[in-house]
Amino acid sequence: MTPAPLDPGLVWRVDSYYIEYRYIEERAIVRKRQAGRPPEAYLPLPPATFHIVLALADGELHGYAIMKDVAARSEGTVRLGPGTLYGTLKRLLEAGLVEESGERADPERGDERRRYYQLTPLGLSVARAEARRLDAMVRAARRKKLIGIRPV
Amino acid sequence: MSPALAERIYRFLLRAYPPAFRSEYGREMVLLFRDQCREGDARTLGFWAAVISDVVRSAPALRVEAWGSRATENNRTMGVLMKLTAMVTVLLGVLSVLNTGVELGAAATQTILGAHAVSLALGVFAGVLLLAAGVAMLSPTPRGRQAARLAVLASLVMIVAARLLFPWMSILSQLVGIGLPVVLLIVLYWPHKTSTLGAA
Repeated sequence: MTPAPLDPGLVWRVDSYYIEYRYIEERAIVRKRQAGRPPEAYLPLPPATFHIVLALADGELHGYAIMKDVAARSEGTVRLGPGTLYGTLKRLLEAGLVEESGERADPERGDERRRYYQLTPLGLSVARAEARRLDAMVRAARRKKLIGIRPV
Repeated sequence: MSPALAERIYRFLLRAYPPAFRSEYGREMVLLFRDQCREGDARTLGFWAAVISDVVRSAPALRVEAWGSRATENNRTMGVLMKLTAMVTVLLGVLSVLNTGVELGAAATQTILGAHAVSLALGVFAGVLLLAAGVAMLSPTPRGRQAARLAVLASLVMIVAARLLFPWMSILSQLVGIGLPVVLLIVLYWPHKTSTLGAA
């Protein structure tokens, strides 16, 4: 007796469920591996990375808003180009410190849809750990009178 | 310079980035460049110096990362292929031992010459060594690879000696006994690269 041919639609649905399941499973493995790493394991953050993380600490932003925030906070001394910005965002996404929060048009600019990024709980912990590390270094520099006194 | 021409030049510069990165972030990068054009003056040398400096600083690092992740993928694929090869080797080792056993049984019905008996015994040992090589290959460690190399080499020497002692060896036995160890030795001596890319 020949078996009844499979419904192609059913095969496609099963395949897509399987792919979705595999995707969720792999994301869970990555998250589990990342969860095992303490925030201090990601330190020190490169300057451009810390600037981006600082920009995202206030909430979700798109690429151009991050660039503007960094330029404004550093009084124009740090200017991230598109390559540096998206290269760093790619690494942050892969490390699980940042996640995409959607794609929509900026109401202020009202042009094309842009991807928005936000810090993950791990990203926030890493940002706090880096801020503490830098704060300790600044305090040490102050104790050595390297900063906080008027230059002669 | 018109914004359209500036954008065309920037799209050309984007080719410096890895294709996967371009397809993921290219559109966003062009949008950002458009914003920069609106803000700055795309006709000035300073504007283009900043754009080119950004590409020169970021693209090579992303290329190296892309090569690194490709090497990791290749290593993973090679690992799977090695496991499959090891399983096939184990199977062929078992078949080789069984085949020699059948030949030994058939020869036992008649008077076996000394050289034939030695060649059959060598065939059995060669099959067992091939089986051992397959088992050693299943362990993806340098020691496992070294043990597999030695077992395959010994198996090849034995089967060549058996072939010299008994020239009427079947084509299948020669293919499995000589061809397979030669292929395995090439695979086992092939340079094994390890990824230098650590976790992010």
